[in-house]
Amino acid sequence: MESTLMRKLQILADSAKYDVSCSSSGTGRHGSGSMGSARVAGLCHTWAADGRCVSLLKVLFTNNCVYNCEYCVSRRDNDFPRASFEPEELASLTMEFYRRNYIEGLFLSSAVEISPDYTAERILKCLTILRESYGFAGYIHAKIIPGVSPELLHRIGLAADRLSVNIELPTSESLRKFAPQKKAKQIFAPMRQITNTLIETGSLKGPGNMFKGQQLNTADHYLGASALPREAAMPAETALSAEAALPDIRRRSLKGTFASAGQTTQMIIGAGSETDQAILTTSENLYRTFKMKRVYYSAYVPVVASPILPDKLTAPPLAREHRIYQADWLLRFYGFTVSELFGKGSANLDPDLDPKVTWALRNLDQFPIEVNRASYEMLMRIPGIGNISARRIIRQRRVRAVRFEDLKKMGVVIKRAKYFVLCCGRYYGDHSFQPETIRNSILQMESGLQLSMFDNDWKPLETGERQEKLAAAGVI
Amino acid sequence: MIDYIYDGSFDGLLTVIWHHYYTDRAAGIFTEDRYQPSFLQGSMEVATDPDKADKVYQAIRQKITAHDLRSVYRAWLSCDPEKEIKILRYVVLGFRMGHRTFALHSDPVVADFQAILKKISKEQERMMQFVRFSVMEGGILYARIQPDNDVIELSAPHFCDRFHQERFIIHDIGRDKAVIADHGRWLVSAFALSEAPKASDEEQNFRRLWKTYFDHIAILERTNTRCQNNFIPDRYRKHLTEITTRQEGEAGESI
Repeated sequence: MESTLMRKLQILADSAKYDVSCSSSGTGRHGSGSMGSARVAGLCHTWAADGRCVSLLKVLFTNNCVYNCEYCVSRRDNDFPRASFEPEELASLTMEFYRRNYIEGLFLSSAVEISPDYTAERILKCLTILRESYGFAGYIHAKIIPGVSPELLHRIGLAADRLSVNIELPTSESLRKFAPQKKAKQIFAPMRQITNTLIETGSLKGPGNMFKGQQLNTADHYLGASALPREAAMPAETALSAEAALPDIRRRSLKGTFASAGQTTQMIIGAGSETDQAILTTSENLYRTFKMKRVYYSAYVPVVASPILPDKLTAPPLAREHRIYQADWLLRFYGFTVSELFGKGSANLDPDLDPKVTWALRNLDQFPIEVNRASYEMLMRIPGIGNISARRIIRQRRVRAVRFEDLKKMGVVIKRAKYFVLCCGRYYGDHSFQPETIRNSILQMESGLQLSMFDNDWKPLETGERQEKLAAAGVI
Repeated sequence: MIDYIYDGSFDGLLTVIWHHYYTDRAAGIFTEDRYQPSFLQGSMEVATDPDKADKVYQAIRQKITAHDLRSVYRAWLSCDPEKEIKILRYVVLGFRMGHRTFALHSDPVVADFQAILKKISKEQERMMQFVRFSVMEGGILYARIQPDNDVIELSAPHFCDRFHQERFIIHDIGRDKAVIADHGRWLVSAFALSEAPKASDEEQNFRRLWKTYFDHIAILERTNTRCQNNFIPDRYRKHLTEITTRQEGEAGESI
């Protein structure tokens, strides 16, 4: 029996690993239940061989799928071993792992077995056992499958800390092409329901500090039946039918009990032909409309052969994914908009320099900036300065002027910042204040550094090598 | 100027700070085992005095801030060989600058002190991340770990909150001490156990399950060992279940 569990765990972890999110942040819970707590900042417990953090036990409930999405390892036509957990079995495994401090909680996703509702009911059963029978107070992230009924979604939300509906493909064109059984409105309906319920329970927080200081939990932010991202890269598919309308579940007393860590989603990078701008515009719309906490990006790994996808020899676009993440951070925490990040002419981010530097070089008329006078918002726009160093600068300059030598001690990245700042009126960059000169100087310093973040000797797995590795690991 | 030698206790350090003001300026502060007599100045062994320590304790709280007092305690847990003199310099500066002291990030005294605190916070988080319990006979959770700084006590509130119905032991094997907790109440005690108790079959099975999960969650096409190594320093690896556990049939001992 134990070896069956081992095998299920192998298969269902293998199938779940393409889900990016593993964060356990966004909610704090102390002194409740029989076991467990949650930290607002989240906690990573280990790092896997690909350098990604492991915070939650991330598994699919089942990888038996009726869908046949082109990009997916669990697609119906793919020859891959199949398995399903039993609700009690997975709940008890989660508790045993948790008790040994291996994990912060459970990330439960699933393929669509029989129907979305059937699958959701199984997931709900597992979560109910965890929360009620075991009194588990740790973190739970549940994936919502498009097409699930609003009642089931609501009940899963009451058990989970975070919910996510994966958009996977950034435009409706790609969605039609690669995941013909999924419909855009099926993806947006649960997203809208989650946002609305968060407003009703008074716990919508929004992404990063995009809506800092604004009251989000008001009727103005409530998403009507036709609410879809404005000017979205996902047009049409509007007008949701009346029967998809929300059940009346307004319960103020629920504050914080429904998915208090908010909702997230995930997009694949490099499966279709979208530009960086199209991808980030979709993200921005998701942030502004649904106020979701985060959009995750995952460089497409060619796991299944398909005539319409990049072939199996294509390296995952890790560097591109990295730049898109940087840009995403600029949207959520640094007050940038997507239109600012792209200059005239290019719809893709500069692969050589981070998006904040390229923005600064295009807007050199706003620089250099005197660090002793600039507002927090402007400090955050200086390359090499982040929120910690910006706050330190502001804290210190109330007591004592900030000199150039001080910046380094405050955590500012001097090699980037020096071209864009004045300290007590003095400029410390090179002689020429021209975009090209600065660009070249920064590039010279960073060559070898940025690129080597990723292994340069990436090789596609030889034909059969994946099968061999899986066989060696006892999966097949 | 004089070298002070104290007993290594927190009250002892506070007593030295008192002597710095009322006896003679401190050139260096050492515990006995770390002290090497110098020709430049004399030395004095300080007997820990609760009254003097309390005066300094209250003074830090009132003239600097309560937050700084906690920081001074946290810094004292450090393994930095110069922590005492760095703490002293910070406190001396703090008595002059008051509650604004911690905002002087670029001042060398403040920067040194905050560098120690940063390391303590980092390792405090690592305790929460890397402690791995084994379920022992009678359901007691036991973990072995070897932190650089003396931080196990800082992780106790976190684990007591999380496992408030459990009994657990977090054993700092380098210092022969442990946090011992029972249903949310805890204490730090001397503790020696040279070998981890033998794990039951059930326990070994969960270790293998965890190891299996750990191996399978990595995406082969994205292998990035350097990134992994940056996050898990070598010195923690010997106590990490997912690294030390061997699968059945694999060479090596299953501990």
